[in-house]
Amino acid sequence: MSYAPRRALPSAAIALSLTALAACGSSSSSSTPASDNGKVVKLQMLTGFTGPDRPSYQALVDNWNSAHPNIQVTMDVQPWAAIGQKLPQSWATGQGPDLATPSFDPNAIFQYIKTNSVEPLDSAVGTGDAKVEVSTFPKTVTSAFTVDGKLYAVPANLATLVLYYNKALLQKAGVTAPPATVDELVTDAKKLTLPAGSSTPTQYGISLADHETIQMWPILQWLGGGDIVDAKGCATIDSPQSVAALKTWADLVQKDHVSPVGQTGADADTLFSSKKAAFEINGPWAAAGYRKAGIDLGIAPVPSGSAGPVTLASTVPLMVAKSSKHKAEAEQFLAYWTGKTAQLAFSKGGFPPVRTDLASQVTGDAKEFAAALPNARLYLAGLPTGSKVDSDVYVPLIGKITRGSDVAGAASAAAKQINGITGCKA
Amino acid sequence: MTALTTGTSPGPRARRRLRWNPAYAFVAPSVVLIAVFIVEPIVQSGWMSLHDWSMGEASHRMRGFGNYADLLHDSRFWNALKVTCLYTAGTAAGQVALGLLLAEALRRTTWFSSVLRTAFFFPFIASMAVVGIVWRFLLDPQVGLVDAWSGHLGLGHPNWLQSTSLALPTMIGVGIWKGFGFTMIVLLAAIQAIPTYLYEAARLDGAGRVAQFRHVTLPTLRPSVLFVTVIATIQGLQLFDLSYVMTGGGPVFHTESVVQYLYQRGFVDFSLGYASAIAWVLFVVILAVALVQLRVLRYRDVD
Repeated sequence: MSYAPRRALPSAAIALSLTALAACGSSSSSSTPASDNGKVVKLQMLTGFTGPDRPSYQALVDNWNSAHPNIQVTMDVQPWAAIGQKLPQSWATGQGPDLATPSFDPNAIFQYIKTNSVEPLDSAVGTGDAKVEVSTFPKTVTSAFTVDGKLYAVPANLATLVLYYNKALLQKAGVTAPPATVDELVTDAKKLTLPAGSSTPTQYGISLADHETIQMWPILQWLGGGDIVDAKGCATIDSPQSVAALKTWADLVQKDHVSPVGQTGADADTLFSSKKAAFEINGPWAAAGYRKAGIDLGIAPVPSGSAGPVTLASTVPLMVAKSSKHKAEAEQFLAYWTGKTAQLAFSKGGFPPVRTDLASQVTGDAKEFAAALPNARLYLAGLPTGSKVDSDVYVPLIGKITRGSDVAGAASAAAKQINGITGCKA
Repeated sequence: MTALTTGTSPGPRARRRLRWNPAYAFVAPSVVLIAVFIVEPIVQSGWMSLHDWSMGEASHRMRGFGNYADLLHDSRFWNALKVTCLYTAGTAAGQVALGLLLAEALRRTTWFSSVLRTAFFFPFIASMAVVGIVWRFLLDPQVGLVDAWSGHLGLGHPNWLQSTSLALPTMIGVGIWKGFGFTMIVLLAAIQAIPTYLYEAARLDGAGRVAQFRHVTLPTLRPSVLFVTVIATIQGLQLFDLSYVMTGGGPVFHTESVVQYLYQRGFVDFSLGYASAIAWVLFVVILAVALVQLRVLRYRDVD
């Protein structure tokens, strides 16, 4: 819920304050130089963690502040959409916060690198508590944040998706264990869609979202050995495996009605929360809300497919402004944020740590999410035009095929479009 | 401007053209504000539309009319234009027709008609974004009231906002619901200003209620109908908030308007040059449509 691909409506206020923002330019404070009396360095940090996990992040900041009276960090939290509006301008013009999470989409970093707004962090990398220990981050994350050999961001958080299920609904249908394979998931999803054969079920097998959401469909493709683009940025969405996986699930949605069509992430969460869906693929931010809704919640790994076990990882990049007057202090703070102590404390909130060397010490929900890390992949990892491929091609493609478009035809059109955007000369 | 306002009162030998008029002092602030916040950005956007202009990048490549040429081949732009025109035609026609009917029906001032007028005017006062959010909830297939009622009324359970065939008509319906109160009030005022002797004369000639409406009310109302049609059209062409909030342009671009596409290109992808070109094309379209409407409706004036 929190971390925003899954917000309900984009706040209308944001839409309406657009003009105001454009007119007033950036109103965020530029970093204040150290005050002379007492030499306290003040760091501004802007994040988009507006959800229920916000206190966990605030706790990290508070702990730092009590341990470092001379470096005080203030975390300003704003909706992702507002950050996306303001930060590019303010950072490009040398204003704005010292530290920020520009977006929940890791690919957003390319835009800031292009405008030369962010500081490479390589000088802060090393071993020990005072350094950013990049070697402990999952490789997918490090490579996504490394551009032209330079590290531009550290993970502010790390999430993997799991299979949530409603124990009560499974029991009622006589399903004794969560599905371990995709085939079992398909069978169970059909079985749990009630009344059987209805085009408007009162209970759905699985709650799939296809826009304004953390992506679920790529996982369904990966499980069958499909993908969207390869490492060179050339489309693989029209490969036989991709098309087969898309066709399987599009038919399940279209013909068997195992999931409502055209849900946003928020819609999908609501459906599962209101006990009208048996399964949902989702991240750690959702667990607390589901339990609060009174669901007898089961958490299982995403079932494995013909291509083995795989799930989606998502990470929010945390960056230092090129224009910051306190880069050294900001880098120290990043070392603390991604350090052992902070990450272990943070994992108590149900998120897996951003480090791979803490697995044995993690407890509770976070364990499930951490266990999925070795098989987790980023969506459109490291693709500079990733955001555009998502909004212009992938989201509309899923929208079309779940409403009856021919999958093979739609996929090959999508492949052409993707190659046009990425500049692949396939 | 400022030179004029700061000079002392010129003597009798001052040239006429520069004669100091206190009115200048009063309009100066507005002129400055309009110049800085309206005229300058318009000029700037025209300039940007001729460049490959991305936010934050230092250099901007001059493209001439390249952005406009790309637009002509951009199927998503044409789709957005089609959506916008359908929405505009639907809402403008609906608002004017409904407003006219209700204005005629609620002509006589009674306690009951005052209540109805107020009720019909209410949606117009609310902000478009709020209206969009409320209707999105009402139309939700899981928790929406409309879905519950449509089941009882035997309409089945259509997924109003997620069906490619129903999403735009549904949005047009909401657009009409939002705006017809305004057209009704304007036309009501115009109807009540029609001298009663015209109706009396028509009645003496044996005209019934329908004939009175056709031969007295409609011809007299022509300027007001023109006014509300132009207003409704211009508002319709600027469709953004309703589709942004209700559907986000979906399902699969079936409700994506020109302004929404402009927003996507300008403030999500940061291609400000391309977005400016879209804005200018939309400006030309709105100008042309408004001029045509003024022409057509004015020429039909029968004196």
